Amino acid sequence: MSQPLEYSSYPFNGHDEFCLRAGSHHQKTILFIPPLFDEMNRVRRMIVGTMRLLNEHAIGSILPDLPGTNESLFPLEQASLTIWRNALAHCAEPLAKQLYVASFRGGCLIDDFAVESRKWRLAPAKGPGLLRTMMRTRMASDKEAGLATDMTQLAEEAQRGHVNLAGNHIGPKMFAELQDTVPMSSGSIRTAQLTNSNQAADVKLSGSALWLRAEPDDDPQLAKAIADDLLSWVAQ
Amino acid sequence: MSENLDLTPEAAVRAVMQDILGLDADQVSAFTAETELFGALPELDSMAVAGLLTELEDRLDIMIEDDEVDGELFETFGNLVAFAEMKVAG
Repeated sequence: MSQPLEYSSYPFNGHDEFCLRAGSHHQKTILFIPPLFDEMNRVRRMIVGTMRLLNEHAIGSILPDLPGTNESLFPLEQASLTIWRNALAHCAEPLAKQLYVASFRGGCLIDDFAVESRKWRLAPAKGPGLLRTMMRTRMASDKEAGLATDMTQLAEEAQRGHVNLAGNHIGPKMFAELQDTVPMSSGSIRTAQLTNSNQAADVKLSGSALWLRAEPDDDPQLAKAIADDLLSWVAQ
Repeated sequence: MSENLDLTPEAAVRAVMQDILGLDADQVSAFTAETELFGALPELDSMAVAGLLTELEDRLDIMIEDDEVDGELFETFGNLVAFAEMKVAG
């Protein structure tokens, strides 16, 4: 049996970006779009757990590093949602015609790179909310340093080049796109939420909202619930 | 697909605290108005507070302005619930 997980890459903008693959020999492959910014680190381990479980059931998966995130050498301040959608299109190119896309949180803002494909989403997040959380974190650390910063000032700072929001360098295009983008609502979409959520859902999964936690963690039960739902979704 | 459900402000605050702190439903149902938050719960750092405010905005369909947020708000569970109730009442 081949290795369940392997590092691979996809070409983007004249260089290679990393991606993690599971079960590349399987017929069907799900492209995972991770949460964005800090939320990605908190959920990555669980996503990889889901990829392993899918592999055991003969479903392949691929988890790309978006340019400027994780191992990528691309400068984050030059990244934008548009660039990330382009990167995903490159990553998906060698995959089968029938593409399955599973996105988490802010990843749902860029799953519309593949208009025709079937989409699965967990706890989709809106761009303005992600931006407000990052701005609030920056404002809290400024306050500890004795500075009073507000959201208007941060928006102006982004316009002048880029703004450092909790360690994320956000350029003017990314800032503007986040302010304006919510997950696209047309097409074939299955939305999953956690059981304690009050948001609209096709299925409720039990588990914890790792993306909101202070530290990265794992939730094998949620990984299994996600894998089970994805298996029945792909089989349809 | 199910529709968004209306939550009471208190239920929303409990659900968000559960998510942010990684507690189970029983633990968070034991929170009372006097339960101390910021300073008493190490997981509730300033980054977690930032996420908490945005989650409350989403779940209660409200907007929280910068100048409405001060240290007192996060002193106790009761303060946070009272604030959420005030925002929902408009």
